[in-house]
Amino acid sequence: MIGAIDTGLEFYRQVLELRGYRQEILSADIANASTPKFKAVDLDFKEALNAVSSGGSSSSGPSSSLWLVDDPRHQNPAGSGSPAAVAAAVKYQIGNPVTLDGNSVDLNHEKVAAGENAVQYEAVAAFTSQTIRMLTVAINGSGTQQSSGA
Amino acid sequence: MSLLGALAITGSGMAAESERLTAVASNIANANSVASSSGAPYRAREVVFKAVPVNSDIDGQSAVGMAGVQVAGIVESAEPTRSVYDPSSNYADANGYVTMPNVNPVEEMVNMISAQQDYQANLEAFNVAKSLALRTLAI
Repeated sequence: MIGAIDTGLEFYRQVLELRGYRQEILSADIANASTPKFKAVDLDFKEALNAVSSGGSSSSGPSSSLWLVDDPRHQNPAGSGSPAAVAAAVKYQIGNPVTLDGNSVDLNHEKVAAGENAVQYEAVAAFTSQTIRMLTVAINGSGTQQSSGA
Repeated sequence: MSLLGALAITGSGMAAESERLTAVASNIANANSVASSSGAPYRAREVVFKAVPVNSDIDGQSAVGMAGVQVAGIVESAEPTRSVYDPSSNYADANGYVTMPNVNPVEEMVNMISAQQDYQANLEAFNVAKSLALRTLAI
């Protein structure tokens, strides 16, 4: 079964997608650091990953517009990290100072969070590369030929 | 492709901040302009931002929590204008007072520093998102 091979990769894909989503949310906060009445938001990563990987996503609704999933026997791209599935994990940041024009973006906090999130993203990307290399070694007996050729 | 959305968002932030910087430059340059092209003394201009949703998804839906920034409009400051006593000026009124712009240089400098910091933050976020996207291509 191909499932035995790509199980780990599927998890990495979900994590990468969520990390990218969080990066996007933090970028939106930074871009709106001077917008009146804008309230900073953040992605609760733990909750989002739970929502995506606990299988709840496979039953709940259309996940991807790339292909049609309208039969229970169709393979659902599990998780799919679609924003709809993790929308509940996007929360307002609480406790930030609010300026006179109603903006609650704390630029220092946003920068730190974005940097931390970037490091996590890089880490997962490195794990993914390693896993792929490992699988290539298992298939070919030598991973270097395949990866350098491709 | 969430990271490409991040690029678009920070790009909108940089465009908006540079427009704010332009307004500051205009105000400082005209801090002593007695009469503008309309005849009335120059009034300080201020840029107002608003958050707009961005479509970065494949299916064109905008996800929760993602908003770019856009210039909603440019308003003229309602501060009272200054009056300077200068009877020899061509623009002096009957009492010898000239109406000067309501530009507050201190306020403009603070605004400029704020715009600069916000622009830099956007630029940093842009670079981080770009390097992450490139890292993903290298998997």
